Amino acid sequence: MKKIFIVFILSAALFVSCTELEVTPTSFTTTENLFKTQDDAVASVTAVYASLTLDPGEQTLFGRNLYFLTDMASDYAAAGVSATNPQVRALSSLTHDATSDRVQVAWRQIYAGINRANVAIDNIPKVSGNEVIKTRLINEAKFIRGLLYFQAVRLWGGVPIVLHEPTSIAVESLKSRRATVDEVYTQIIKDLTDAESLPATYGSADLGRATSGAAKSILVKVYLTRKDWPNTILKAREVINGGYGYALFENFADAFERTKENGKEHIFSAQFEPNQAGNGASGNNFPATSFTGFTATEPADIISDVALFYDIYAAGDTRRDASYMKQLFNPATGTLYTFPKPLFKKYIDFSNLNARGNTGVNFPIIRYADVLLSLAEAINESDGATLEAHELVNQIRRRAFAKPISTPDVTVDLVGRTQVQLREAIREERKKEFVQEGQRWFDLVRWGTLVSEVKKVTAKNSVSERNNLFPIPQSERNIDPIGLPQNDGY
Amino acid sequence: MKKILNINSWLFILLLSLSINAQDNKLLIQSKLNGRVVDEVTNEPIIGASVSIKGITHGVVTDIDGKFYFQTGQKFPYTIIISYIGYKKKEVYVDGSPVLVELKPDVQELGELVVVGYGKQSKKDITGSVVSVPKENLSRVTASADNLLRGAVSGVVVTQSSGSPGASSSVRIRGGSSITAGNEPLYVVDGILIYNDNSNASAGVANAGASVNVLSTISPGDIESIEVLKDASATAIYGSRGANGVIIITTKKGTKGQDNISYQGYVGFQKITKKLDLLNASEWASLRNDVQASIGQAPSFSAAQIEELKTSGGYDWQSAAFRTAPVQNHQLSFSGGDERSRYAVSAGFFDQEGIVLGTDFRRISLRANFERNYSENFKFGVNTNYSNSISNGLANRTATSNRNPNALTTLIYQPPVVPIYNADGSYNLSNNPYATAVNNIIPNPINDLENTVNETKIDRILASLFGEYKFNKDLTAKVAVSGDVINTKQNYYAPATTEAGAATKGFASVGNRLVSSVLNENTINYNTRFGDNHKFSALGGYTLQYTQGEVVNAGANTFVNDNNEFNALQDGVPVKPYSDAFESVLKSWLARVNYSYKGKYNLTLSARADGSSRFGSKSLWGYFPSAGFSWNIIDEDFAKNLKGVDDIKLRLSAGTTGNQEIGNYLALSSIGSVNYSFGGTIQTGLAPTRLANPDLKWEKTTQYNAGLDVSFLDRRVNLVFDAYYKKTSDLLISVPVPLISGYASVLQNIGGVENKGIEIGLNTENIKTDGFSWNSNIVFSANKNKVTEIGNGIDQFFPIVPNSTLLQQQPVTVKVGLPLGTFWGYKSDGIFQTQEEVNTQPKINSLANTKVGDRRYVDTNGDGVITATDKVSLGTSQPKFVASFSNTVVYHDFDLNFSFQGSYGGKIFNALKQQLEISTLGTNASTALLDRWTPANPSNEIPRATSSPLGIVTERYVEDASFLRLKTITLGYTLPKGIASKIGTKNIKVYVSAENLFTWTKYTGFDPEVSTFEQNNLYPGIDIGSYPNSKTFLTGINVTF
Repeated sequence: MKKIFIVFILSAALFVSCTELEVTPTSFTTTENLFKTQDDAVASVTAVYASLTLDPGEQTLFGRNLYFLTDMASDYAAAGVSATNPQVRALSSLTHDATSDRVQVAWRQIYAGINRANVAIDNIPKVSGNEVIKTRLINEAKFIRGLLYFQAVRLWGGVPIVLHEPTSIAVESLKSRRATVDEVYTQIIKDLTDAESLPATYGSADLGRATSGAAKSILVKVYLTRKDWPNTILKAREVINGGYGYALFENFADAFERTKENGKEHIFSAQFEPNQAGNGASGNNFPATSFTGFTATEPADIISDVALFYDIYAAGDTRRDASYMKQLFNPATGTLYTFPKPLFKKYIDFSNLNARGNTGVNFPIIRYADVLLSLAEAINESDGATLEAHELVNQIRRRAFAKPISTPDVTVDLVGRTQVQLREAIREERKKEFVQEGQRWFDLVRWGTLVSEVKKVTAKNSVSERNNLFPIPQSERNIDPIGLPQNDGY
Repeated sequence: MKKILNINSWLFILLLSLSINAQDNKLLIQSKLNGRVVDEVTNEPIIGASVSIKGITHGVVTDIDGKFYFQTGQKFPYTIIISYIGYKKKEVYVDGSPVLVELKPDVQELGELVVVGYGKQSKKDITGSVVSVPKENLSRVTASADNLLRGAVSGVVVTQSSGSPGASSSVRIRGGSSITAGNEPLYVVDGILIYNDNSNASAGVANAGASVNVLSTISPGDIESIEVLKDASATAIYGSRGANGVIIITTKKGTKGQDNISYQGYVGFQKITKKLDLLNASEWASLRNDVQASIGQAPSFSAAQIEELKTSGGYDWQSAAFRTAPVQNHQLSFSGGDERSRYAVSAGFFDQEGIVLGTDFRRISLRANFERNYSENFKFGVNTNYSNSISNGLANRTATSNRNPNALTTLIYQPPVVPIYNADGSYNLSNNPYATAVNNIIPNPINDLENTVNETKIDRILASLFGEYKFNKDLTAKVAVSGDVINTKQNYYAPATTEAGAATKGFASVGNRLVSSVLNENTINYNTRFGDNHKFSALGGYTLQYTQGEVVNAGANTFVNDNNEFNALQDGVPVKPYSDAFESVLKSWLARVNYSYKGKYNLTLSARADGSSRFGSKSLWGYFPSAGFSWNIIDEDFAKNLKGVDDIKLRLSAGTTGNQEIGNYLALSSIGSVNYSFGGTIQTGLAPTRLANPDLKWEKTTQYNAGLDVSFLDRRVNLVFDAYYKKTSDLLISVPVPLISGYASVLQNIGGVENKGIEIGLNTENIKTDGFSWNSNIVFSANKNKVTEIGNGIDQFFPIVPNSTLLQQQPVTVKVGLPLGTFWGYKSDGIFQTQEEVNTQPKINSLANTKVGDRRYVDTNGDGVITATDKVSLGTSQPKFVASFSNTVVYHDFDLNFSFQGSYGGKIFNALKQQLEISTLGTNASTALLDRWTPANPSNEIPRATSSPLGIVTERYVEDASFLRLKTITLGYTLPKGIASKIGTKNIKVYVSAENLFTWTKYTGFDPEVSTFEQNNLYPGIDIGSYPNSKTFLTGINVTF
């Protein structure tokens, strides 16, 4: 009888013997197992780019989240009735504080992208593969890292500089003190200067990657923000004369046309694609939040004051109707629908008005028009209202009024302006040109006019000098109150 | 209960005596003795009683008729000793054959045998807190086994998450001891260890909605007994899975003797318990006018139109969605056994329609239990259960529509002026000026309910095979192998006319999850006595459990028509598919020693070492010891004088248990896929998503228990009292780390939670006369839960609620010093009545346009402005106490069972009410808004009508969820034996029954027993539109042939 039982035991033992406690996952890779091949290196850099456009469960960095800070917390944009998040409404009325979830998410998204870049830069050297490609990939990661630090330093001032992936989970080792503004800019310039050696162009399969022209163009903005006029002028001229082939679209609206993506005016854009997350969700939230359908209900993102920002366009300025829509043809009813207030238009995909949460209109991080206006601003500030500065502004104006861009046109050209007048003109052009493009708050802060301009909008009269920076997120300061002192006024 | 216990003890005696038999000697036959042993009271034969001759080792046991037979070398006369568990030992002087022995039941010795981890123990010797679910509860009519626990045992709180057929419940034994890991108890079904993880019933199909209860796959009619193990002395033998308590379920087994066939069946119907009070058409029209006025727009309805709506009445969307729904259950069982084999097989069928259109649940279950004594020393058996269930859940909306997460809430929000049907009887899919058409369709929630397919099919096989070998009378070894396979298929189809399918012209999704777990348990048992005073037993074992799972799902949209639903994904445009796989291993060593001195002092020591693949490489193994002591005071000399007291027992225990329900692979770093488009083509990128934590280890719960069992008045009053303190440390928490690291959090063993409480079980026999009896059972438990630490110098965090409407409001918090599930919000202070008040008093800073008629909030920190720092605790979802009062009244052939259940002091965040009190232009609202502030009606409670849809957490919406409920009432009639046998049956009982007949509560939502986020610990007690509860009326019959 014992034999039977022993057989029983043995068969049971055989049944379950081959099991170890340390199991190897089969459905995901651990960090230790990545970075073997060049394909791994490419994928790690693709992930760096993805930090611009993808964040499941959250509005994406360039898909709308930065917009709350750089546009809604400026003068022309506001939170409409459909904006249900009190934190969004707080940013719109500039009454936000350090607990603002939007500010925290922006901070998180920026540093998540920086970490991905750090991971790529730290690890790509160890993969086997073509050294040229590897260097290019590292420089692409540095471009994005520089771009993200450039956003961070403008939004919060001196921020912690993190340049390597974490090696421990000990909280102390993950902390880092706020660096000075100068230190951050030194790092940004270093990364972007390295990125200047990126290729000038790519094959069609790689369109959208960072180029040397993109690196130089972002450097233009960096120097402009630092009011380093000589370097701004130097870099801008390299962009314009460097043989990159950049030019303005003849038709302003083409800059936001899906079929014209990565065209001659687009120096670097956040690339959105319908169905990007694969499950119907998308990176670009603007179409859904700028247009709620053919209804009187206000969307979440609206113009704050029609008189101050919509009625200012001169007759014939095509930028008004490319940036805003007061009426829209409703294919369902076959009639023209009139909205109570003009709505933002740049990111609406008219080929797919129904599925507004899932469009593929790119977000232009830097357009050639910005380089031209930046050069004009730098020349005007350093050398005064020169003919060249006038001409740069006039190119923008001619295109806006649908005139030949290089042909002087008395009907739209500015002539003989003083430095003060031209400065004012450049500022007006930027306001009309870059609606919903994440420029306005940066511009107002750079010019030192944030408080005076924003105060003109009644609902935003809570603005004060503190608003020249955003608060360090409270959640971050809870963990490191000493290393992360708060900005003034929060 | 007694019957099965006797059978178990019979088996024990049988084995014992067989081994005695094995030592047979070759004596001369001097005498032959025939005899029979019967119960003195009932005259029923006693099976398995041991009979031996005094002074020699020769012994036999009685057979099925209580008979025994001796051939012995002894000559008459001699004395025989007859003993049997539960009876007083008897010595009989015999001088000839045959002999009839009547045994007297020993009330004290009888002390039921109780199922404990890896064995059974006499109730008298037990040191831990182990409670059996009363038989009355087990016969309760219900769809799911976990409902049998409701109000049955102190310290166990069962909360259903919704009234949906087959929906899940959360079960908490002595409060939740974990913050982020699982808090459900461990289930042991016929020796198979199961963690009731409802995610095993989900293939992750988009929009599949509320999860399906894994336990609903076990037919309640098959359950013989349920034991609840509460303290560490009882649960430490389950080591890393014992911290949340253990529930041992034993299914019905065959018994030796006659074959029985029985049929149990009932039919009935269910009705909605209540509807929400919503505005009617004219009331809504005037609200809309007020909202329009608040944003400077012209009224939408003229006075004449409103008058007209008063007469026409509008449309009642709620009534269109609810129905009276049938429910039926049938179970046919065969059981029996002979000398060596016992069997029980059954087949069950349960079918329930939901009270909301388009929902139902159906289950077919088959069970076969078989056991055979292969030889005197070896027996084996098999327990198998197969079940197949299909449930259709509520139609869900698109993932982004968080204000109304399902079609039920959509219809609640539907303006009452919008028609449900067109004139021709078809669904109205266009005539609704308050919603936006998508692809020319304005979704109609009634159509969504009727036509959305949201189906979960679960096949489950639970099977175990065991062999038990008895080396000698003291030593037994057992090997068991068991398997648990759950195969879930989910199908979803939203037609192009529905909310979820309109934008994409149909949306289909299918998914499959296959989880299988194999368990091998090898135990060895040693029982002995030294002299008369020392009883000793030891258990040792090694077990191994291997679990693996695979998940796949795929979907498509943009279909030409709705004909093929989810069965032809290839006809549409695919969306990104998903697949995943996981495996886990748990190895354990276990040991337990029981020692009892004179039956008075009992000591239990147990320990388990668990090695789990889920933890970090540096801490794979965890060790969980416990000690328990009990003292039968009644046996002391000084207690003999206590008049009327029949039993006093003191129990003390302490020990450590663990929790490993954290999910798989969390100690490892991981890379996730993301994507980005280059050249218009989406490319996959790989990014780190988690940092490795090689130190990740077990959550540890140290528990202390003190218990007192008292019986008096001839055991007509039985009281069980327990007090406990549970401290959980090394809690697994996703600790927030500096975001500059690129990560938001890291899973670490930081943090603590404590639970302390008392439990009372009081069982009384109020009336006991011939033909009339009344028994009552009162169960009371109070638990106090507190978070003691959350690590990294933080004392509060806000869990991320997976619903954007709630996420922004942050209604729940985890804060040191407060219980889990604490609601956090502003205290309100009436309504701003004058502009001066608005100008001078604190306002919410983000609501720049506060006006007269808006709600005023309390500036708790006195800084002159209302900010997040003014939020305070608004109470917790955890009740102060729960109690139940169950009664059985028998009058001749009639019996009446009724049970009240109650809960006191818990809160629910009624987010649906909050949303319904927000006036918007396009959705219906609560009748509370009839009292809204207007200059003519300066309400101090309900704010003015505005178009601003901001929801704010305030005490108005954190409602008292206390309730008292007549949970069940059943009136039964058992046919007199004579009549029953005339029609060829042994027993016939008919009954009528009602469930949830009355509920007394202040809660204004559908039902106070609700938790939209189901088993979750971090944000329990939120109601944002769950499936409502129902009243059930049944009539049934139980027949035994």
